[in-house]
Amino acid sequence: MGIDRAYDRRTFLKFAGATAAIAACGGASTASPSPTTAAATATATAAPVTGTISVYSALNESTNNEFFGAFKKAYPGVTVNVLPLAAAGELQTRIRTEKASPKADIFIGGSSEFHDPLGKEGLLEAYIAPNAKDIDAKFKEATGLWTGWYTGIFGFISNNDRLAKEIGGKKPTTWDDLLDSAWKGKLVLPSPVTTGGGYIFIATQIFRFGGGATGETKAMAFMKSLHANVAQYVPTSPGALTLIDQGQFVGCPNWAHDILTEKSKGNPIDLTIPTDTGFEVGAVSIVKGTKSLAAAQALVNWSITKEAGDLNVKLSNRGSTRTDVAPAAGSPKLSDVKLVNYDRQWATDNKDRIIKLWQSTVGL
Amino acid sequence: MRSLQREPGLLLALLAVIVLVGIFIVYPQVRVIATPGTGYIDFLTGGSWVKATLNSLQVMALSTTSAVILGFVFAYAMVYTPMPWKPFFRLVGILPLLSPPFVVAAAYVILFGPRGLITYGIFGQTISVFGLSGIWGVQTIAFFPFAYQLIADVLSRSDARLEQAARNLGAGPWHVFRTVTLPLSRPGLGAAILTTAIYVLEDFGNPALIGGTFTVLPVLAYGQLSGFGDVQGATAISTLLLALALALYFAKIRLDGGRSFVTVSGRASSMPRPPVPAALTWSCFVACLLLSGLILLVYGSLLVSALTLNFPTNFTFTTKHFEYITSGTNGTALQNTLVFGLAAAAFSAAFAILAGWLVQRVAFRGARVLDLLLIMPAAIPGLFFGIGYATAFNEPWLDWLDRGVLIIIAMIFWNIPVGYQAAVAGLRQIDKSMDEAATSLGASSLRGFRDILLPMLGGSLRVGFVTTFVRAVTTLSVVIFLFTPASTVATIRIYQLVNDLNFGAATAFTVADIGMAIAALSVIAVLARGRVALGAARA
Repeated sequence: MGIDRAYDRRTFLKFAGATAAIAACGGASTASPSPTTAAATATATAAPVTGTISVYSALNESTNNEFFGAFKKAYPGVTVNVLPLAAAGELQTRIRTEKASPKADIFIGGSSEFHDPLGKEGLLEAYIAPNAKDIDAKFKEATGLWTGWYTGIFGFISNNDRLAKEIGGKKPTTWDDLLDSAWKGKLVLPSPVTTGGGYIFIATQIFRFGGGATGETKAMAFMKSLHANVAQYVPTSPGALTLIDQGQFVGCPNWAHDILTEKSKGNPIDLTIPTDTGFEVGAVSIVKGTKSLAAAQALVNWSITKEAGDLNVKLSNRGSTRTDVAPAAGSPKLSDVKLVNYDRQWATDNKDRIIKLWQSTVGL
Repeated sequence: MRSLQREPGLLLALLAVIVLVGIFIVYPQVRVIATPGTGYIDFLTGGSWVKATLNSLQVMALSTTSAVILGFVFAYAMVYTPMPWKPFFRLVGILPLLSPPFVVAAAYVILFGPRGLITYGIFGQTISVFGLSGIWGVQTIAFFPFAYQLIADVLSRSDARLEQAARNLGAGPWHVFRTVTLPLSRPGLGAAILTTAIYVLEDFGNPALIGGTFTVLPVLAYGQLSGFGDVQGATAISTLLLALALALYFAKIRLDGGRSFVTVSGRASSMPRPPVPAALTWSCFVACLLLSGLILLVYGSLLVSALTLNFPTNFTFTTKHFEYITSGTNGTALQNTLVFGLAAAAFSAAFAILAGWLVQRVAFRGARVLDLLLIMPAAIPGLFFGIGYATAFNEPWLDWLDRGVLIIIAMIFWNIPVGYQAAVAGLRQIDKSMDEAATSLGASSLRGFRDILLPMLGGSLRVGFVTTFVRAVTTLSVVIFLFTPASTVATIRIYQLVNDLNFGAATAFTVADIGMAIAALSVIAVLARGRVALGAARA
């Protein structure tokens, strides 16, 4: 009887294994939405643009759902499959490794520094959207490889309690204030290697010191002095905000819009914007090899409408590249803060070299 | 060579294993290494790897030592002592394996950071978890379960009669432990040290999050890839990691020598183990209790976070995080995680045992190479394993291949090493005369394997299944370049939520993921109960 039972279980396990394998195949295929039926119901409303697009999105979770929901309302004939990964570097790598058989039609979100190299490598499809006429030239690539649709300003987050007790409540008015020894071991910085923000911070210093070779030398000297006060270079920008929310560290240069979002959740933190700061241009681009070009172009064109701009401001506190979109309440306007003369093309083209220079300067 | 020519089935099995290993372990790596560019030279001349390598080696030595010691104590206590609460400890001993990246390291920061709830909140200390000591501590807890599983498997199979004999001849408990128990557990110890060391070397999440300015190789590689888009430079680092793992592997071979560790030479003994002094039992109990307390503290904080508005600043109770994670596509992610994990674990464990048997028992040229290839995946950072698959299998003519299936295949082969190590360690304890008895009575080698050895290797099978399953449901790096909207998994969602600064929902997802994994493991344990070998290894 004991043997029988053991045997029964063994047979059962065999079956269980087989079922699991079948479920694995079946589960995965049933989980994928059926594009044909979705497209069929959509065409019934007779929208001009139809198709299914796969979108690699580096936008926030909360933004994704509403933003693409609104797009689908505007273009009911288009089915959007969003692949959400709020890490532009990983999405960039994915697009590179997939170039033999591209799986994305659209790459949206992340600063233009992540889109520009892909364009140079011939992995993007140029498209000058009709609505791009409303966008200033400094916010878009001339041949239409990528289009800038939002802006983000670099600010400074500080933990209220610890700032008051340990730094005398003095928020930095310039970046040089961060060199004060009172900040020693109390600052964190998004990693210049793995985050767009960390690099924009270094580039901002270069432009602050006048750019060129002199600017570079002075900026590196600044970064080296700052290194003495930095406790950690955090691998993601949001990760750095969490550390300040919790008071693990006192302050961190980071994105103003994200700092505002954190503050609105009731965290004991505050935003300040030191003078001579930099900003990012968030981009959208079409991946070469797309089989739904019309739908992809529709999304790019829609992203730079006033409607999309207003929605994104509401969802993410970011600014818009359109002048007719008002910034979020409490958030700084690009024209109101003192910005450095940020040469985006230079910053993009010299990114690898500058980061390596920084690495050897601080010894990381 | 005894039967390859005579047994077509055996030859077929061997060829199948070699072909699969070739396609799914070797080929993707070759594709990654063959990426054109000048990255290798730039990287080597850049010199940033020297410091990172030294850092990696330092951390490896520290964390492996402490993790293996903890693992041994835990395993010894579970197998040898009659201490109470064993089912509880068994469960807690698996928890650290169920650590989706980022969230658990974040929990350590919340508890033990400069303003940690424990370090600062209770003890008023501002000592920091960031840096070398932090990595050391966190990795010790994170990786001791691997050592525990492998050592417990070997200890539970060692023959009690040898120890009884030694005791009867007058040796004291300590003397028996030192001269009988410890030497006999050497295959398991060796496997545990090797596996733990390689996993520590390859660990990315913990050093990235709490490393401070202390950089190790995987962190450097990730930066190279994510920051510079430099696949070549990143691969160079990955290759360096492989070389280090290779060195460890050869060191282990040397240490093992050609010794025999056979302890199962006939009928499994029903003799009880010699009694352990009560003082030892209770010290083991206290040690396990302390360790479990620490683990429960960390995982408990995840549960608290999942059920509060904004941990650790606002402790108001809420269920909104759990409502959020059961909405939308999140349910699909959990379901995929379970299906992928179970499928990968079943295939991986079975494949590991078969491969282990072929390498260990069937003499053929190149067995050593196959052995090495089967351990290699442990040393390949998940990121590169994923990139290898994304590069090698993202061809237009392969577009029909479902991504979920590809992810399962990646998980199977990435997780082979532990199950394989367990199988080899197990086989080395079983005397060859056992299966030879079967073959000389006319059974084929395969039949001897299936009917004689497999039932005795239940423990090894279980180790392979459990580790593959838990690693499959907690890996982010392997899937990050492979997942599609339809084949998204829990870790991807958790990573997204962490980056979205929604720590509450991220922890709720983590709790759901861990809960689901434990439930699945419990169901399997219940189904498997009653099977002699599995029972034995359950200590």
